[in-house]
Amino acid sequence: MFGNPETLAWLILFLPLLSAVGITLFTQRQPKVSALISIGAVALSFVLSCALFASLPLDKGLHEIAFQWLSVGNLEVSIGARLDGLSLMMLLVVTGVGGIIHVYSYGYMHDDASFSRFFASMSLFTFSMLGIVLANNFLQMFVFWELVGVSSYLLIGFWYERASAADACKKAFITNRLGDFGFLLGIIMVWAAAGSLNFAQLEQRFASSPEVMGAMATVAGLLVFCGAMGKSAQFPLHVWLPDAMEGPTPVSALIHAATMVAAGVYMLCRVFFMLNAPALEIISWIGGFTALLAALIAVQQDDIKRILAYSTLSQLGYMIMAVGLGGPTAAMYHLSTHAFFKALLFLGAGSIIHALHHEQDIWKMGGLKEKMPVTFWTFILGTLALAGVPPLSGFFSKDEILAAAYHHNLFLFALAVIVAVLTTFYMFRLVFVALLGKARSQAVAHAHESPGVMKFPLLILAVPTVLAGFWSIDGLFNRQFGAETSAHASNWISQIFAPFNHAPAAALAGIGAVIFGFSLALTCYQNAESDPLPKKLGFLARAMRNRFYFDELYAGLIRITQEFLASIADFLDRWIVAGLLVRGTHGTTDIAGRALRLVQTGNLQTYAFLFAAGVALVLLIVLGK
Amino acid sequence: MNSSLILEIAVTILALALLLADLWTPRNLKRYLGYAAAAGTGLILLGSFAWNPDPGSSAFDTMYVLDPLALYFKRFFLFAGVAVLLIGVEFSDRFVTGVTEFSVLVLFALCGMLFAASANDFILVFVSLELITVTFYVLNSFQRTRLVSLEAGVKYLILGALSTAFTVYGIALIFGTTGHTNFQQIAALTGNMTNKPVFILGLLMVLAGLGFKIAAFPFQMWAPDVYQGSPTPATAFLAVGSKAAGIVLLLRVLFIAVPAVAVDWTKLLMVMSGITILYGNLCALPQRNLKRLLGYSSIAQAGYLLLGVTAMSAAGNSSVLFYLTGYLFTVLAAFMVIAIVTRGVDGEDVSALAGLHQRSPLLATALTLSMVSLAGIPPLAGFFGKFLLLKSVLERGAIQPACYWLVGVALVGIVISFYYYLGVVRAIFWSENSGSNERISISWPSRAVLLVCIGGMLYLGLMPNRVVNASVQAVQVLKPTSMPRAVVRF
Repeated sequence: MFGNPETLAWLILFLPLLSAVGITLFTQRQPKVSALISIGAVALSFVLSCALFASLPLDKGLHEIAFQWLSVGNLEVSIGARLDGLSLMMLLVVTGVGGIIHVYSYGYMHDDASFSRFFASMSLFTFSMLGIVLANNFLQMFVFWELVGVSSYLLIGFWYERASAADACKKAFITNRLGDFGFLLGIIMVWAAAGSLNFAQLEQRFASSPEVMGAMATVAGLLVFCGAMGKSAQFPLHVWLPDAMEGPTPVSALIHAATMVAAGVYMLCRVFFMLNAPALEIISWIGGFTALLAALIAVQQDDIKRILAYSTLSQLGYMIMAVGLGGPTAAMYHLSTHAFFKALLFLGAGSIIHALHHEQDIWKMGGLKEKMPVTFWTFILGTLALAGVPPLSGFFSKDEILAAAYHHNLFLFALAVIVAVLTTFYMFRLVFVALLGKARSQAVAHAHESPGVMKFPLLILAVPTVLAGFWSIDGLFNRQFGAETSAHASNWISQIFAPFNHAPAAALAGIGAVIFGFSLALTCYQNAESDPLPKKLGFLARAMRNRFYFDELYAGLIRITQEFLASIADFLDRWIVAGLLVRGTHGTTDIAGRALRLVQTGNLQTYAFLFAAGVALVLLIVLGK
Repeated sequence: MNSSLILEIAVTILALALLLADLWTPRNLKRYLGYAAAAGTGLILLGSFAWNPDPGSSAFDTMYVLDPLALYFKRFFLFAGVAVLLIGVEFSDRFVTGVTEFSVLVLFALCGMLFAASANDFILVFVSLELITVTFYVLNSFQRTRLVSLEAGVKYLILGALSTAFTVYGIALIFGTTGHTNFQQIAALTGNMTNKPVFILGLLMVLAGLGFKIAAFPFQMWAPDVYQGSPTPATAFLAVGSKAAGIVLLLRVLFIAVPAVAVDWTKLLMVMSGITILYGNLCALPQRNLKRLLGYSSIAQAGYLLLGVTAMSAAGNSSVLFYLTGYLFTVLAAFMVIAIVTRGVDGEDVSALAGLHQRSPLLATALTLSMVSLAGIPPLAGFFGKFLLLKSVLERGAIQPACYWLVGVALVGIVISFYYYLGVVRAIFWSENSGSNERISISWPSRAVLLVCIGGMLYLGLMPNRVVNASVQAVQVLKPTSMPRAVVRF
C-alpha cells in the first residue's frame, strides 16, 4: 500500500493538515505533545517524499494522479498531484528545510505561552505550501495559494499583541491579495481562452497551437505573474516582506526565506510554457530591478533580520530575472540552494537574537565569535554561499543565472554582477559588525551558545549549504525543461571547474564580484565604530536607509486616493446604501415579517378556517377558470 | 411471508419487544430501554445496507413496492429514527411517565414512514399517513403536564383530522372516477382523465393532505405552534420524518400515478413553492423561540423542496432527495443541541444559547454548522443541495420562463434567511451570558449522533458525488413527462 506513489503523495500532503487539525482540536493545552505532533508530521512527510523521489523513475515522463472533487454538468473540478522533477525537488526542499526549522522552533519558542498555536499554524502552512507544490491545475493552486497567504498572516501576526506585528500581517496579506487579484484574472483568462485549468492539458494545448491565447497572451502571462509578484515580493509589491520580519524568526526562515516567497518563482516555472517573449522580457526586467533595489537598501539597514529580508528580496529578484531570461532551470536551482543557505542564515540570526534577549540591532552586537562558535561558523558558511564563493552551493546556482544573463542580455548581466558585489558587501558588513570585532553592548557579555535543539539544525543545514552544488540538482530540472543536458562532470574536481568551461566570463565575473565586494566591506567595516557610509554617500545613503521612501510614497498615495474614494464611498454608503437600500429593504422585510406573524394567531378555529380557505383557493386556481 | 416487508416487520417486532421488556424493567433503568431501541434501529439500518433486495419486488398485490426509491427513503427514515430515539433519551427526564412508550411510539411512526416510502396505492398512502399522524397526536402531547404540549397535540389532532378528511375524500373521488386505487392502473387511465373535474378535484384534495404533511403554503398554519409546543424529539421527528414521508408520497403520486396531471400543475406548484419560501423566511425573522424559529424555517425548507418538484425532471427529483438528506443531518443536529441545551431551562428562547461555545464547544459547533448549512453557505450540505435544486429549476427555464422568477424569489428567500440563521450563531458566540457557565455534559451516544451529523453535513457539502449518484439511481423509477402538453391548463 505504501509502495504506490498515489498513497504516498496524499500522505505527504495531508499529514501536516492532520497535525494542524489535531493540535487545534485536542492538544491546545499540551504544548510538548503539539510540538511533537507537528514535527513528527513534517518529518514523516519528508521521509515519504524521499521514498517517493526514490521510487519514481523521473525520466519516464510525468506522473499525475487526481480524483474528481465535484462535477456538475460540464464543470469538473479535480484535486490532484503532479509528480515530476520540479514538484518532487520542491517537496524535498519544503519538507526537509521545513522539518529542520520545526525542530529549531522547539528550542526558539519554548517559553512562549501560545506554543501549541504556533505549531498548529506551522503545520497549516506546511500543508498549504505542499498543496501549491503538488497542484496539477490552476484552481487547486489558487486555493492553496490563498491558504498560504492566510497561514502566513497567522504566523506573521503570531505576537498579535504587538501593534507592529498586527500591522505587518495586515500589510502582508493585503499586498498579497493585490497580486492575487491579478493572478485570479489571469487564471480566468486562461480558462476562457484555452478551456482548461489542468497544467498538462494546457501545456499540450499551448504546444499544439501557440496562438491559443491570441492577442491576450502577453496580458494573461503578466496577470499570472502578478500572483508571483505578490508572493515573491517583487517590485512594486515588495514592501510587505521586510515588515513581515515582525514574526518569530523561525517563521521568517521558513516562510520568508525558504518556502512561501519561493512559491512565486515555482509557479512561474510551473506555467513557463504559457509565457511568451514580451512577457518574459518584462518579467526579467522587474526581477533585475528588484534585485538591485533590494541590494542597495540592504546595505544601509541596521536590523539583522531586515538585512536578511532585503537580501532575500534581492535573491528572489535574481530568480525571477532568471525565469524571464528563459532559464527556469537556473531559477529553480538557485531557489533550492537559496532555501538551504538562507534558512541557515535566518536560523543563525535567530540564534544570535535569542542569545541577546531579542536584540536585533547589529551595532549592539559584535564579538560573538568566541561566545557562540557554532552559530558563528555556520553563519560564515551561509554568508560565503550567499556571496557565491566556490565551491559552496550558492556559487554554482548563481553562476547559472549569471551565465543565462550573459547569453541573453548584457545589460542585465552587468546589473546582476553589481548586485553580486553588493551582496558580498552587505553580508560582510553584517559579519564584521555583528559577529567580529569587540562587544558593543552589555547584552553580548551575557550571551552564550544556544541549546542543542537549535544548534543541530544549524549544523544540518550547513551540509547542503556547502555540498548542494555537487548534487546535480540542475540536471534534474534540465531534464524537466528539456534543455540540453550538460554533460555531467565525472568527479567533483572537474565539477568545480565546469562553470569556467561552460561560460568563463560569467564565472570570472562572479568571483571578481565576490573579491571586490569583500575588499570594500573590509576597508569600510573592519573594526568600525560607526557606519562610515552616510558621510561618504550623503543623500544616497539616507535614501537607502529609508528604503528609497517606498513605504512613505505608498502611504501618501494611498492616503490621497483613499481620502478621495472614501469620501465618495462614505456618501454612497451613508445615504444610498445604508439609508435607501438597507434601511428600506430591512424595514420592508421586517414589517412584512411582523405583519405575517399576525396571521399566526394561535387560534385553532382560525387555522382550520384558513386551511379550508387554502384548499378552496387551490381548487379555484386549478378548476375555477 | 414476503421478504420485502422485512424492515417494517423488524421495526414492529422491536417496538413490541420494548413494550414487553418495559413491564419487567425497574424504573431507574428505563432510560436504557431507549438506548436499546436506538441500538436496535441502528442494527436494522446497518442490516438494510447489507440487504440487497430484488429491485422489482412488491407485496400486498403491488400495493407495496420495494424499488430503489423506497429503499433510499427507508434508510433515511431509519437513520432519523435512531437519532430521534437518542434525542428522546436525552429528553426523557422531562416526561412524567412513559419513557419507554415514547420510544415505542416513535418506532410505530417510523414503521408508518417505512410503509409510506413504498406506497404504490392510494389505500396504502392513506394507511401509512394515518399510522404516522395518529402516532404523532400522542407524541406531540406527550408532556402531559405542560400546557403548551397539550395545546400542540390538540391543534395537530384537529387540523390533522381536517386534512385527513380532505385526503380520504379525495381518494374516494379518485376511486369513484377511475375505479382504481393502484398507481399504475390510474396512470394508464390519466390520459383520458385530465379533463374530468371530479378526478382533478380528488387529486387536489390529496395534494392538500400531503401539503399539510410537508407544511407547504397554504396548509402550513399548524407548523409553528405544533413545533414549539411538542416535546423536542417529537418536533425533530415531525420536521424530518413526517416531512420526508410527505415528500416521497408527493413524488410517487405526482410522477407515478398522474404524470400527465403533474405537468399541468407545474405553475400551481411553482406558486406554492415561491410563497412557502417567502412566508417561512419572513415569519422567522422576528422569532426568538428556537423551536418556533425552526418551525418557520421548516416551512421555508418545504418551499425549497417543492422547487425541485416543479422542475419536473429527473435532475429536480434527485436534488430533492439530496437536499432532504442534507436536511436530515442538519435538523437532527439542531434538535439534538436544543434538547441538550434546554435541559433545566424553561422554554427554548434563543438567549439560552449565550456562551454555549464556552460551555460546550461540540454543541456550539454542531448548532453553528447546522444553521450555516440551513442558510446554504458553502461548504456544507445545504449549499450544495440548494445549488442542485436551483440548477434543476433553471434548466426548466428554457421551456417555462416563469422558472427564472421562481429562482429569483428563492434567492430572495435565502438572503432573508441569513438574518435569522446567523442570528442564532451570533447568540452562541457573541451574546452576553447571564445564565450558568457550567460545562454541559453530553452522553456518548448523543455525542456520536452529533459527530455523525457534522460529518454528514461536511461530507455532503465537500464530496457530494456519491450521494448525488445514489439519489439519481433512486429517482429512476419516477419518470416525469417533462414535455409540455399541448393544452396547458391554469
